[in-house]
Amino acid sequence: MHKSPHRGSSVEFAEYRNYVPGDDIRRLDWRVFARTDRFFLKEYEAETNLRCYFVLDASGSMRFGQAPGGKLAYAKRLIATLAYITAHQGDASGLICATGKTVVEIPPRRNPAHLKVLFETLDKAEARGETGLITALHDLAERVRRRAMVVVVSDFFCDLEPLLECFQHLRFQKHDLAVFQLLDREELEFQFDRPLRFVDLESSVSIVSEPSSIRDEYLRQFGLFLEQLRRGCNEFGVDYRQVVTDQDYERVLADYLIERAHLAASSP
Amino acid sequence: MTFLQPFILLGLPLVLVPVIIHLLNRLRHRPKPWAAMRFLLSATRSSTSHSKLRQFLILLCRLLAVAMLLLFLARPLAGGWIGWALSPAPDAIVLLLDRSASMETQTGGSTKREQALKLLAQAARPYEGASHLILIDSATRAPQEIAKADSVAQLSISRPTDTAADLPAMLRAAFDWLVDNHAGTAEIWIASDDQRSNWRPDDARWKSVIAQLAGLSQKVRIRLLELNQSPEANASISIKELVRRSRGAKGELDVVLDIQRNRATSATVPVVLTLDGQRSETDAALEGQSFRWRRKIDLGARREGGWGGFSLPADANQRDNTAWFVYGADTPLRATVVSVEREVARDLQLAAASHNAEPAQVLAAAAIAGASLENCSLLLWQAPLPEGAEADLLQSFAAEGGVVIFFPPGQAASRQFAGLSWGDAQTSDSPEGFRILRWNEDEGPLAKSDEHLSLPLTQTTFARRQQIIGPKNVLAAFEDGSAFLARQGVGKGEVYFCASLPQTEWSSLGEGPVLVPMLQRLLLAGGRRLQQVSAVACGELGPADLARSWVCVDSTRSKDIRFEAGVYRGGDRLLAVNRPPAEDEPDVIDTDEARKLFGGLPVQTLEERHLEVGQMQGEIWRVFVFAMLFFLIGESILILPAKPPPPGPARPAPRPQQREEQPA
Repeated sequence: MHKSPHRGSSVEFAEYRNYVPGDDIRRLDWRVFARTDRFFLKEYEAETNLRCYFVLDASGSMRFGQAPGGKLAYAKRLIATLAYITAHQGDASGLICATGKTVVEIPPRRNPAHLKVLFETLDKAEARGETGLITALHDLAERVRRRAMVVVVSDFFCDLEPLLECFQHLRFQKHDLAVFQLLDREELEFQFDRPLRFVDLESSVSIVSEPSSIRDEYLRQFGLFLEQLRRGCNEFGVDYRQVVTDQDYERVLADYLIERAHLAASSP
Repeated sequence: MTFLQPFILLGLPLVLVPVIIHLLNRLRHRPKPWAAMRFLLSATRSSTSHSKLRQFLILLCRLLAVAMLLLFLARPLAGGWIGWALSPAPDAIVLLLDRSASMETQTGGSTKREQALKLLAQAARPYEGASHLILIDSATRAPQEIAKADSVAQLSISRPTDTAADLPAMLRAAFDWLVDNHAGTAEIWIASDDQRSNWRPDDARWKSVIAQLAGLSQKVRIRLLELNQSPEANASISIKELVRRSRGAKGELDVVLDIQRNRATSATVPVVLTLDGQRSETDAALEGQSFRWRRKIDLGARREGGWGGFSLPADANQRDNTAWFVYGADTPLRATVVSVEREVARDLQLAAASHNAEPAQVLAAAAIAGASLENCSLLLWQAPLPEGAEADLLQSFAAEGGVVIFFPPGQAASRQFAGLSWGDAQTSDSPEGFRILRWNEDEGPLAKSDEHLSLPLTQTTFARRQQIIGPKNVLAAFEDGSAFLARQGVGKGEVYFCASLPQTEWSSLGEGPVLVPMLQRLLLAGGRRLQQVSAVACGELGPADLARSWVCVDSTRSKDIRFEAGVYRGGDRLLAVNRPPAEDEPDVIDTDEARKLFGGLPVQTLEERHLEVGQMQGEIWRVFVFAMLFFLIGESILILPAKPPPPGPARPAPRPQQREEQPA
C-alpha cells in the first residue's frame, strides 16, 4: 500500500513487554534489569511517513443494497481490511465516519491497539440521514497539513460539483486520494416490472413511478453522473474505483493493491 | 335519445370505479427504499408529461368502456336519421292474426284468413333476419316466435277456428310480450276482417291497452292489414231456443233458428237436419237478411237425450253453415205454489200443472224453508216478498236456472227482490178495466204460439192491478205504461213480476188462455235448473270442462273442442259447441274508426310503403358495444409493458465473479 523510506527500529517509545526466549537480547533494557532484576524489552512505535485517513460515508443511501447490511456493510469490510493492512505495514490509520451532520473522527495512529478502536467505531456506524461527506472532506483537507493518504468509500449520491471541489481541495493539499464508489446492481440496471413506491432513504420523499416508463431516462442520467464523476476524478488525479456490491470484496481489494504496487514500482 | 332500461343509468356513477381503483392502487403500491432518488426524480420529471398522458388515456379508456357498457345495457334508442341508419328494422314485429269463424269467408277464391297469412308472410319476409317475428292468434292468444315468415301459414295456430276474436285482449297479449321480453322498437301488424263484434270498439279495455302501449319507452307502430271486404253470398245459421216438450207419450223438440244472410233476396234453401246421426232435409223459405225459423222435431217415444244439428248448403263461409244442439232426457217438471189465499193457490196450481198432470205442490210462505224443491223448475209466489233465509233460498233457486214468478200480495211494501218491489194496488174506474195493447210476442212467456197465434191478452180484462216498482225489463205493459209482466235475470234463471191475479175481482186471467201457456212456458224454461249445460260457445269453455277428455260425435274426423264447433261427448255428457253468436253479425268498422281506436299511436296500413324518418326510432346498442370494445382494446394496448429492457445499465458494471481457488 505504501513504500516506507525507513529501515530498522523506530526511536519513538511505545511500551515495555516481558522477555521471552528467542527475543533479541540486544533489545533488553539493562537499566530496568538493574533496578528490578527482570528482563523487559523496550518496544518502539514504528515510524513511517504515511498517515492514512479512511472516510466512510454513513448517509442513509448507504443502507441500500440487496446484500444484508447494504452498501454500508460492504464499505465497512473494505475499510477494515485496508486499515488492517495499513496497520500491519506500520502506517498510521485514522477514520472519519460521516453520519448525516455528525462526523466521528478517530485520528491516525500507528499503535496496533488503535486498530481495535477503529474496528469498534466502524462496527457502531449506522447509515442514516443526509450525507455530510462534502463537509467532512473539506474539513479534512483544511485540518491535515501533512501529506496523507485519503481513502473515501461512498456511493457519492450528492451534487457532483461540490464533490469534485472536495477532491480538488484534497489534491491541492497534496493528499493521495482514492475513492471507492459503491453501487448496487439494482441501481445500475433498474430492472423492475411493475409500478413501485420509491422511498428516499435519506429523506421522507416518496414517489410512485412506473419503472418501465422512466427506465431509459433514469439510466441515461445515472450513466451521465457516473461518467462525469469518473472524468472529474481523472482530471484531479483521484484514484476512482467503481464497486458493485455483488462483487467479491477480496477481489476488489486485490485489484486495488496490485495496481497500487505497480504504480509504486513504476514511480521513480 | 331514450332508453328501454333507463333504471340501469342509475349505475352511471360506476364509471368512477376505475378512478377509485387507480387511486387505491397508488396507495397499495409496494414501497421500495431507494438510494439513487435524485436520478429517479429527475427521470420522472423528464418523462412526466408522456407518462401522465398515457396514464390519463388509460384511465379515460377505462371510464369510457364502463360508460359504454352501461349505456349498452340501458338499450338506447335513437330517433331521426341516426336511428334509421343504425337500426332500420324494428326489433320485434308482432303479428295479430284473427282466426275467428268470420275470417273463413271466401273472397276471390280464398278465405280472408288465407289472404291475411299470405300478405303477412310477404310483408314480414324482408324483416326475417333483422326482427323477431311473433305470432299471436285470436284463439290461443299465446305468443309464438316464428323463424321464417313463410312458415306462418303452416303453423297449427294459424288454422281456421270457430271461435270469436277479442282484439283488445290480443293487443294486451302483444303488450305483455313486449314488456316481458324487453323488446325494442316494435310494430304490431293486425290481420283481421274488421268485424265489429271482434274489435269491440266500445270496450273500456281499448283505452287502457293503448295508454300502456303509448307509455312504453320504445316506439310502437300499428300496421293494419286491409283485406278484401266484398264477400260472396253467405248465410249463417244459429239456434236461438231449444225446448223439449212432451206430447202425451211422445216427445218433441221446439227449435227456434236464426238465419242471417248478406243478401236480402227471397230464397228457398234446403236445411239438413242431423238428429242422432240420421240426416233429413227440409226446405226453408227465407225472406230478408235476418230470418227466424221455428221448427218442431218429433222425437217419438224416445225418452233419453241426444244430439243434432242444422246445416245450410255450402256458401262463402263454410264455418257458419252449421248449428249444433244437444237435448236432454225427458225430465218430469214440477211447480211449487206459495200463496196466502187458497183460491189463488188453487188457480195457480192448476195452471202450472206439468204435462204428466202432476199438480204443483202448495206451501205456506213460512214452510218454504223446509220444503223440497227437487224436480221443481217454477216457483209461484203470491205473498209478501220474502226476506232473510227465504229470500236467499229463492235467490239461489233462480241462480241455478229456476224461474220464480211473483204475484201481487195486495198490500204495498218497501221490501225488494231482485231490485223490484210492490207498489200500491190500483182498481180501474173504467168498466173495461186496464187494457194491454202491446207485449213481446217474439220471445218469453207471452210469445206467439207454435201456430203463430198471439195470446189473447187484448181480450183479457184487468180490473185491479198492483204496481211493479223498480228498474225492469217489461215484457207486457198496460196502455198507460204501467208494467203487467216484468223480468229480471238472476244467475242462470229468471225472476218475473206479474201485476195481477187470476181472481175475478182482479182479472180474467183465471179463464186460462193467457195464464196457462204463460206458466207452462215458465215451467219449461225453469227446466234448465235440472239439466246440465249442454251448449257452449266455441272458445268459451270453462277450465273444468277443458280439463275433461272430449270425443267428437258429429264427425269421424278428430276435432279440438277448444277451436272447432261440433258435438262432443265427455263421459256420459253431451256438449254442443257452436261458434259465438257475435260471429254472425255482419257489422264491420271502417279504417278511420279503427285508426281512432289507437289514439296517439302511429297507425299505417301494410300497403303504405312510405315511412316518415322522424317516426322511426331504432335501437343503437351495437354502437355502444363496438365503442366499448374499442376502448377496451385501446386500454389493453396502452397498458402493454414497454419493450424489454436491454441487459445492463448505461455503462456496463462488472458482474460478480467467483473467487478463484489457488492451487495448493
